Amino acid sequence: MTDLPVLSILILLPAVGAVLTPFLRKDPIVRWFSLLVLFADFLLALWVLLNFDPNTAAMQFGEHRVWVPNLGISYRLGIDGISVWFVVLTSLLGWICVLASWWSISIRVKEFMTCLLAMQSLMIGVFCALDMILFYILWEAMLVPMYLIIGIWGGANRVYAAFKFFLYTLAGSLLFLIGILLLYFGGGQTFDVLALMEVQYPFPLQIWVFLAFLVAFAVKIPMVPVHTWLPDAHVQAPTAGSIILAGVLLKMGAYGFLRFSLPMLPDASQYFAPMMIALSAVAIVYGGFLALAQSDIKKLIAYSSVSHMGFITLGLFTFDAKGMSGAVIQMFNHGITTGALFLFVGIIYERTHSRDIAAYGGLIKVVPLFGILFAAFLLSSMALPGLNGFIGELLVLAAAFGVSGWAGAAGALGALVGAAYLLGVYRQMLLGEVKTPGDVFVWDLGRRELACAAPLLLFVVWFGLYPKPFLTILQPSLDHLMTQLNPTAVTP
Amino acid sequence: MIGIEHYLTVAATLFVIGIFGLFLNRKNVIILLMSIELMLLAVNINLVAFSSFLGDLVGQVFTLFVLTVAAAEAAIGLAILVCFFRNRGTIDVEDISVMKG
Amino acid sequence: MDLTQITSSVLASGPEIIIILGACVALMLSLVPRPGQGALLAGLSLVMIALAAAMSLTLAQNPQTAYGGMFVNDGFSTFFKMLLYLGTALTILISDRYLGTEDAAKGEYYVLLLFALSGAMIMVSGKDLLIIYVGLELQALSIYVLVGFLTTNTRSNEAALKYVILGAFSSGLLLFGLSLLYGLTGTTQLEAMGEALDSVETSSPLLALATVFLIVGLLFKVGAVPFHMWVPDIYEGAPSPVTGFMSTVGKVAAVAVILRLLIQDLAMLDPIWRGSVEAVAVLTLAAGSFAALVQTNIKRMLAYSSIAHGGFLLLGLLAGGSEGLASVMLYLLIFTVTNLGLFAVIVLLNRGAGQGENIQDFSGLAKSQPGVALMALVFLLSLAGIPPTGGFFAKFYVLVALVDAGFVLLAVFAVLLSAIAAWFYLRVIMLMYMEQNDQPAVFQVSPAIGWALIVTFTGTVLTGVLPAWFLGVSKAAATAGLG
Repeated sequence: MTDLPVLSILILLPAVGAVLTPFLRKDPIVRWFSLLVLFADFLLALWVLLNFDPNTAAMQFGEHRVWVPNLGISYRLGIDGISVWFVVLTSLLGWICVLASWWSISIRVKEFMTCLLAMQSLMIGVFCALDMILFYILWEAMLVPMYLIIGIWGGANRVYAAFKFFLYTLAGSLLFLIGILLLYFGGGQTFDVLALMEVQYPFPLQIWVFLAFLVAFAVKIPMVPVHTWLPDAHVQAPTAGSIILAGVLLKMGAYGFLRFSLPMLPDASQYFAPMMIALSAVAIVYGGFLALAQSDIKKLIAYSSVSHMGFITLGLFTFDAKGMSGAVIQMFNHGITTGALFLFVGIIYERTHSRDIAAYGGLIKVVPLFGILFAAFLLSSMALPGLNGFIGELLVLAAAFGVSGWAGAAGALGALVGAAYLLGVYRQMLLGEVKTPGDVFVWDLGRRELACAAPLLLFVVWFGLYPKPFLTILQPSLDHLMTQLNPTAVTP
Repeated sequence: MIGIEHYLTVAATLFVIGIFGLFLNRKNVIILLMSIELMLLAVNINLVAFSSFLGDLVGQVFTLFVLTVAAAEAAIGLAILVCFFRNRGTIDVEDISVMKG
Repeated sequence: MDLTQITSSVLASGPEIIIILGACVALMLSLVPRPGQGALLAGLSLVMIALAAAMSLTLAQNPQTAYGGMFVNDGFSTFFKMLLYLGTALTILISDRYLGTEDAAKGEYYVLLLFALSGAMIMVSGKDLLIIYVGLELQALSIYVLVGFLTTNTRSNEAALKYVILGAFSSGLLLFGLSLLYGLTGTTQLEAMGEALDSVETSSPLLALATVFLIVGLLFKVGAVPFHMWVPDIYEGAPSPVTGFMSTVGKVAAVAVILRLLIQDLAMLDPIWRGSVEAVAVLTLAAGSFAALVQTNIKRMLAYSSIAHGGFLLLGLLAGGSEGLASVMLYLLIFTVTNLGLFAVIVLLNRGAGQGENIQDFSGLAKSQPGVALMALVFLLSLAGIPPTGGFFAKFYVLVALVDAGFVLLAVFAVLLSAIAAWFYLRVIMLMYMEQNDQPAVFQVSPAIGWALIVTFTGTVLTGVLPAWFLGVSKAAATAGLG
C-alpha cells in the first residue's frame, strides 16, 4: 500500500480530462487525448487490482477528507472485493467507448468526449464512494452527461428517450435521498456507509427506507414495472451510450442493493425477499419473451438486459452464499458481454445504418472475424459453459431452486428463452444466405475495432475457463456481507 | 357610550367594502385605487382608535406614516395609469389583459 | 435620547444612509444628461453598494440595536443585507445592456434601484412594525416604477398597474393585521410585542384574525398560492433585470421579514398559522411546478419556477428552529446567485421590444455560444437541484431540516414535485443543446455582463462543490437571529 490517494487519482484523472477537453483545438487531438486519459485510468485501475489484498473484507485504498462538516458529509472512498471489479469494468469500458465512437461521432466531438470523461469520473466515483451523500451526488450528477449523450448524439427519437431516462431516474433517486435522511435521523447520525452498516434499525423504519431505496435501484436496474425507459434509451443512444448504460449504469442499481439495502436493512430485505424474488422472476421471463418478439437488434439486447438483470436481483435476494456470488459474477459478466454486444451492433450499424435483424444474413461468410467474435459474445450472453456467463447463471439458478421451486423454474425458463432469442439472432444474422440491408458493402473489423473487442473477449474466455482469481478477490467481501445479513449466524 | 368595538366595527366594515370594491369592480381602474384607499383608511381608524384607547401615541404616529405612504402610492398608481392610458387609450379593468396565463 | 445615542444610532444605520445618499447623488447627476451617463451612474451605484457592504461588515463586529430598539444590526440582518447587496450589484451589472437594447436608458433607473435596495435593507433591519412597514413601502414603491420603466411598452405598463394595485392591496391586508396586533399588545416593537403576546391566549379570535391578515399579507409578498396570480404577469411584463431584481432582492427582503416575525419574535403565533402554511407550502410547490410546464415565455416560466422555489422556502420555514432558518437562508443565497445568472443570459438574448424572451430563443445556443450555454446549463441544473451545483445543497439542506423536524411526508412530497419541476428546466437545456436553429442568437458579451456571469457561475459551482463555508455562515447568522 502506498500513501498516494490512488482512488482520488482514478476519479479525478478523467474529470481533469473533461475540463481540459473543451480547450483542445482539433477533433483528432480530442479523440487521442480522451483515449489516452481513459487508457491511463484503466492502467491505474489494473494497478489497483494487482495491489488489492484478497485476504480481507475490509475497505482498501481508503481515503477520508472533511468536506461539509456542518452537515456531517465527508469525502470518503474505499473499495472492497466487490467494488474493485466494477472499478476495473468501468475503466475498461471507458476507453473502449472512445474507440467505439472514433468515427461514428463526427459532430461536436469535443462535447461528446467531455461527457464521456465526466461520466467515467462519476461512475468510478460511485463505486468508490463510502459516504451516502457523496454516493448520491455522484449518482445523480451522472444523469446530466448521460442525458446529453443520449439527447445530442442519439437516434431519431433521442430527445424523448433522453427525457424519459432522466425523469425516471431522477424521480427514483430523489426518494433514495429521503431514505438516506431517514437513516441519518433514524439513529445513525452519520452518512458514513460503514458506520451505518453497524446500526440496528427498528423494523418499521427499515421497511420505509427499503421501499425508498427500492424505487431508486429498481429504476436503475431496471426491474419490471419501471423498465420502460431502458429500451427507449438503448435504442436511441449512440453506441458508447449503450455500452455505458448496459455495462455500468444498470449494475449500479444492483450494486446499490448489495452495498446499502442488504447490509443496512437486513430485516426489511428478508421481509421483502419473496416480493423481490417474484419481481425478478417476472423480469426474467417477461424480459425474455419481449426480447424474443423484437426485430430491432438493439431493442432485443435491451430486453435481454432486463431479463439478465432479473437473474442478478434473483441471486441477491436468495440470501444464499452461492446465489450472492452468482449474482455478483453475473453483474460483472453481464457488463462485459452486453457491452460487447452493443459494441458489435454499433459496428455493424456504422456500416449499414440498419438494426433490423431480418435484414441481415450470412454475415459470417462476408465478415468472418466480425461473425466469429459476435457469435462468441452471443454465446457468452447465452451462458454457454466455458464462457463467462455460465458460472454466474448456474450459481443463481442453483440458489433459486433452493429457495423456491417456482423462482428456479422461472429462471430456467428465462435461460431457455434467452437461448432461443440469442440463437435466433445468431442463425438469422450470421448463418444462411448472405444479405445485408440495402445490399450495402460490409467490411470486416478494422484494427481499431479489434482493439475494442480483444480485451472484452479476453475477459469472456478467462472468466469462463479460470474464474478463480475473480472469486478469490470476491469471496472475503461476500462472506462479510453474508454475516451482516444473518447477524445471528456469526459464531463468536 | 361609544366603545372601542364600535370603532373597530366601522373600520372592519370599511375594510371589507374596500376588498369587495377591489374584487367586484369590473369597470374602472380609478375605482380600484379608491378601494385601496378605503382599506388603508380602515387601518387608520383602527390605529387611531387603539391609540386613544390605549393612551399610547405610537398608533397615531403610525397613522401619519400610513397616510403619507398611501399618498405616495396613489401618486405612483395614477402616474402609471396615465402612462397606461397614453399607450392604450383606456383604463377599463377588462382591458388590462395583454398577458394571461 | 441624548447626543451619543443619536450618533451611535446614525452610525448603526450607516449602510442605509450611504445607499440613500448614493441614490440622491445619482438623482442629481441624472438631471444633467451626458454621454456615458449610464456607465457613470452604474459605477457610482456599485461603489456605494461596496461602501455600504464594507460598513455592514464592520458593524457586524458588534451587534447592536439603535433608535431605541427599532432598528437592529445583528448577524441575521447582516447576512440578509449581504444578499441584498449581491443581488442589487448583479442587477446593476446586467441592466446597462438591457436598457440599451430596449432604448430606455434613463438615470432614474439606478436611483430607483438604490432606493429599493435601501427599503429592503430597512426591512431586514427593522425591529419595529412601523420601520418594517416603511421599508417595505419604500422598496415596493420603487419597484412599482421600475416594473413600468419601459413607458412605451404596453406589457410593462400593464405589469406595473397590476403590481401597484395588488401590492397596495396586500400592504393593506398586512397593515390591517398589524393594526390589530398593535391593539392587542399596545406596542409596535417586536420584542415587547412578543412578551405581551405570551400572556394572550392563542385561541383568542382577535389574535387569530390578526395573524391571518399578517400571514396573508406576507404570503402575498412572496407569491405563495393562492396569492400567486400576480407573479407571472408582472414577471413577464417587467424589464428583465427588474424581474431578476424582484425575484431575488424583493423575495430575500420579504422572506427576511417573515422569518423575523414568525420564527423569531412572534414565534408564539406558530400554532395559529402552522396548519394553513403547511397546506400553502405544498400547494405553492405543486402549482408552481405544474404551471411552469406549459409556459413558452422564459420569464413567465421562471415566474412559476420562482413560485415553486417560494414553496421550498416555506417548507424551510415550517421546519423551524435554527436548522430550518439556516436552510432558508442558504436557499436564498444560492437562489439569488443562480437566478440572477440565468437572468443575465436572458438579458443577453434580448433583442429589444420584448423579442428574445420565448424559450425557443434558447435553441441552438450551445452551437452559437458554447460558453454562455454551458453557464446557462449550470444555472438551470442548479434551479432543478441537480448536483453538483449549489441548488442541490439548497434543497438538500431544507430536506435535512424537514426530516430532522419530523416532516417526512412533506419532504417526500417536495422531492417528487422537484422531479416534476426538473422537466421544464430540462426542456430549456434540450433546446440549447439538442435543437438546431437557423438564426442562432448572435451577441457579444459586454464586460459588465461578463462579470455578472463569472460571479454567478462561480457562486453556483462553488456552493455546489464546497458548500461548507456558505453553510457555516448561514448557520451562524441563523443562530444569531434566534438569539
